[in-house]
Amino acid sequence: MDVNFRKIDIDAYDEDVISEGELYEADPRDPGQVLEDAKAKAAAVRSSLSKGDMAGALGTILDSPPFGANVEDAKNLTLQTVVTVLNSTKSADIPNVVKSLTPEAQDTLMKYLYKGMAMPGWGDVSGSVLLGWHEKLTDVAGTGCIVRAMTDHRLV
Amino acid sequence: MSPEVYNVAQTPITGHAFNADRSQVAVSLNSNDVQILSRSGNEWTTTETLSEHDKVITSIDWAPNSNRIVTSSQDRNAYVWQQTPDPLTGRTIWKPTLVLLRINRAATFVRWSPFEDKFAVASGARAIAICSFDPDNDWWVSRLLKKPIRATVLSVDWHPNNVLLAAGGADMKARVFSAYIKDVDKRPAGSVWGEKLPFNTICGEYTSPAGGWVHAVGFSPSGDVLAFASHDSTISIVYPGGPTIYTIRSNTLPYVTLTWTAEDAFVAAGHDCQPVLFTGSQSGWQSAGSLDDTSAPKSSGGARGGLGGASPVGRLNSLAYTTFRNADSRGLAQSPGGAGSASPDGDLFTVHQNTITSVRPYAGQPGAVTKVSTSGVDGKLVVWNVSAVGSLTTRLGAARLG
Repeated sequence: MDVNFRKIDIDAYDEDVISEGELYEADPRDPGQVLEDAKAKAAAVRSSLSKGDMAGALGTILDSPPFGANVEDAKNLTLQTVVTVLNSTKSADIPNVVKSLTPEAQDTLMKYLYKGMAMPGWGDVSGSVLLGWHEKLTDVAGTGCIVRAMTDHRLV
Repeated sequence: MSPEVYNVAQTPITGHAFNADRSQVAVSLNSNDVQILSRSGNEWTTTETLSEHDKVITSIDWAPNSNRIVTSSQDRNAYVWQQTPDPLTGRTIWKPTLVLLRINRAATFVRWSPFEDKFAVASGARAIAICSFDPDNDWWVSRLLKKPIRATVLSVDWHPNNVLLAAGGADMKARVFSAYIKDVDKRPAGSVWGEKLPFNTICGEYTSPAGGWVHAVGFSPSGDVLAFASHDSTISIVYPGGPTIYTIRSNTLPYVTLTWTAEDAFVAAGHDCQPVLFTGSQSGWQSAGSLDDTSAPKSSGGARGGLGGASPVGRLNSLAYTTFRNADSRGLAQSPGGAGSASPDGDLFTVHQNTITSVRPYAGQPGAVTKVSTSGVDGKLVVWNVSAVGSLTTRLGAARLG
């Protein structure tokens, strides 16, 4: 059977097509503000890390993360900060850190785990560390957390 | 009390609708036909087949008082089926009446209104057809709710006042519309959803935090509360006054169907293969537990007997899948006649072996439903006792202590 018709972009012929931006509510902050927030949080995370407060550091960086269009710099900075926290947590501490997060932060962490896994070799991203976190996070938050990370159009 | 389990088919059940006295059930087995099954003892046997649609049927509803069936299909049509004597043989047959839906995409979901003088057909045409009977022309006519729907509508539910309609769909919103039709409805009294309600008034628009298709919507028995289930594995409960919205994040796969059993409780089910009871009030909502006993495999259940070696069609968890999973996670290799491990037959520990696609009230009154029925992709029809959740929770608690 000829299946090439499946590759036709039928949305191009639809005047009332739903656009990506209509699928979620945009961030009320403007891009400059988002980047400032990300920088401030990265600094707060560094100070938490120096005190050995992994749960506090992760909770800080996962709170209102940058999402949507035009905030690439803030997204990269946040991912880098998240990866730093993940890499510097001892694997025995992971379950307790995960349990200390709010459900919202757990969903956001899952988004960053998948984003990291999609960018092997980027910065300090380590597949084995991410998989370790993924296992522990799924133990706590279940498959529902994975479903939310995949469903959400507010891409981090 | 354990649930009543009926293996209706080896194919997915698209939807099910019981008649008023629960002696018959209309199902579609993922085909163009509706089958009317009649209860004979502990079995359901096909007594009639309704054939008129020429594409797959998507939804069925059976009006309890007027005894009419309405079906919707991917062929963009809906039919109302009514029992009439055949002019040739005198036998009573189900006679279809075409409904003028005026939609150019599949009809996805259909429900009678509480007074059974209207029904709503959801569709992929970004519209909901509100249908009422036109006696002059002897057919069903429709008016379309269009704005502001942006994508396929997946489910609808009627408010008890026969005017308001909740709808959820692929545009990730749950909405409450007015479906007031001048010639049919009396002017409704004001409610928490609004005072003046001309056709297509938007009384509310809600979304869950992570978005996701809204698979199911449902008004509470009083109509003052709305619950909806979305594909982000959450259930949201809306009190329109504030509005106050409670969102329950589930640990499991998404729910796709729900039905209220009391003003403070509803049952939801879906990809997790088990019905779960949720309870709460205006001060908060939580999961009260599963109606299913998932602590042990069901393979010894009597209702499954007689189908020995049932084909794995429609089962989520196949033997091959289990074998590979065991080999991977536990290092169990299964050689023919291998010693030691009992062969797992690949069954899930739930009664349903695949996604539950429909849960509906079965026994009791609106506001005091005692039993619900479910059907799903595994071809099973199951009747559950809503109160069974209490004993289960205790048992789980005991198991955890032990």
